[in-house]
Amino acid sequence: MEATHTGRHYVVRQRTYRVALYVLMFAGCAIMLLPFFWMLTTSLKTQTEALRMPPQWFPSSPQWQNYAKAWSAAPFGRYFFNSFFMAITTTIGEVITTILAAYAFAKMKFFGKNVLFAILLGTLMIPGQMLLLPNYVTIARFGWLDSYEALIIPWLVSVFGIFLLRQFFRGVPDELLDAARIDGCSRLRFLFRIMVPLSKPAIFTVALFKFLGSWNSFTWVLIMTNSPNMRTVPVGLQVFSGEIGTAYEQLMAASVLAIIPILVLFFFTQKQFIQGVARTGIK
Amino acid sequence: MPKLEKFAFWKRPMPDEWRSRTFWKDTGWAYIYLLPALIILGIFTFYPFFSTFRLSLYRVSFTNFPGTYVGLDHFRYIFGDRYFWRALWNTLIIVGTSVPITLLLALVVANLLNKSLRFRTFARTSFFLSYITPMVAVIMVWQLMYNESFGLINYLIGLIGVDRIAWLNSPQYALPAVIILSIWRYVGYQAIILLAGMQGIDQMYYEAAKIDGASGFQVWRKITVPLLTPQIFFLLIISMIGSFKMFTEVYVLFTGTSGPLKSAETLVYYIMRQGFFFTPHYGRAAAASIVLFAIIFIVTLFQMQVAKKRVHYQ
Repeated sequence: MEATHTGRHYVVRQRTYRVALYVLMFAGCAIMLLPFFWMLTTSLKTQTEALRMPPQWFPSSPQWQNYAKAWSAAPFGRYFFNSFFMAITTTIGEVITTILAAYAFAKMKFFGKNVLFAILLGTLMIPGQMLLLPNYVTIARFGWLDSYEALIIPWLVSVFGIFLLRQFFRGVPDELLDAARIDGCSRLRFLFRIMVPLSKPAIFTVALFKFLGSWNSFTWVLIMTNSPNMRTVPVGLQVFSGEIGTAYEQLMAASVLAIIPILVLFFFTQKQFIQGVARTGIK
Repeated sequence: MPKLEKFAFWKRPMPDEWRSRTFWKDTGWAYIYLLPALIILGIFTFYPFFSTFRLSLYRVSFTNFPGTYVGLDHFRYIFGDRYFWRALWNTLIIVGTSVPITLLLALVVANLLNKSLRFRTFARTSFFLSYITPMVAVIMVWQLMYNESFGLINYLIGLIGVDRIAWLNSPQYALPAVIILSIWRYVGYQAIILLAGMQGIDQMYYEAAKIDGASGFQVWRKITVPLLTPQIFFLLIISMIGSFKMFTEVYVLFTGTSGPLKSAETLVYYIMRQGFFFTPHYGRAAAASIVLFAIIFIVTLFQMQVAKKRVHYQ
């Protein structure tokens, strides 16, 4: 390519092109990061600074006590505990049910398989809010309103996860299963000793999406709980924003705190995280 | 997606495997594996799904559930309710703007991140952050930035001479505020999916194009985009379904309301308002959710048909 275009003109054009690409890229990054920057900087301002126009880019002196104030203004400790508890239990439970179901769809022949699979995929089209009231009634009948059962048990399955893992399991050659069976390895043993270790990246993706989903879950928690003790971080934050008036610096401090666990998760698993998300788009 | 003909089991002879005992033994085992998932889906997805259809015909009461039978009254009510039509219209506007704009921007971003530029790992992370961070937290900061008198956005557009906009307080701008927020939130995710697709394209195609002397744009149009159709199609479907279901953005951005004069009310907000807020009319909510489901169902089927013709697999 270079050999055919050695003219000075070409070099200049190529350079301007690259500069334009960098400008575009950094402008994009700036737009994407601006809200995060704004959240952080506002969380360290005094209230007067937070409401100033024209806005002040940096606080004159960082007000770290905003974090302590926000933390004690609402039961955030409890909210965080609830969110972690919900996210971790649903993730573990979902991974188990999903592995079992995906295995059946990927590696077993059984009556009604295609029909059942099509029905499961069809449920992805159902808007969750459509199911909210019947579920509210069910949860109330079970006596689970305002309890951890309501936050966890309905979320122990994900059709999306089943679909994703099934695709991955199908890639594991059948010969492996046959060989294991001849050696007297039971199905369940094969699944957890061979299939699962081979499918770690896909299982990570399923777990990650569940964790994010549970951490972000809003409408369900809003409807199924009513005492502050059972709120999770997003609902707690929304309630807090209604009570706080114009103390935006505290609201931003609380928002930063709500984001931190996900950021920590992201920075520790960055590569798998991005690959995991990218995997959801590959059929 | 299996073809429809697959379901026409009455046209086919009985499969041989039905005669085999191991098949039925396997069937038993398979359902044991599926049991935990099926129980939970049965209680919390299938049952409520059908229950919604039934409840749409009742004036729902909790004391003698399901309540009094009213036939199609709720459907008549919502079809005569101008707020329902407005919610439907708003939802269509969101789908019609945010879906194509997000996808186009994501294509540009993915193309950019696919070039050998420095700092592109940093750029990838920056674009991705908005998708993974908890929605309510980021909506809080957008709410602050959208503020009419001291918001950052009005300050920034003021620098280029645009007048202050009452983003969250005028019926005219409430919906655009929601759309901008949603584009910002999902563009990075879509770009990551497209980028993965681009990196999965066999380099051989590009080398062949180079030998044939194709221009950069030709390569993009004739190789990259066609070979990305599986990803584009996937993103179109999920972002459309996602936009049809939009609720949290509106609810949190407008502090529990649906914007000034309900100007940013989406169908799902309408459903939630009818079903849970103020005086609940669950039957109406159920009727409206059936309409929403029907729309999503038809749109998805239509997209599947288009996909059959247009999606190229390598």
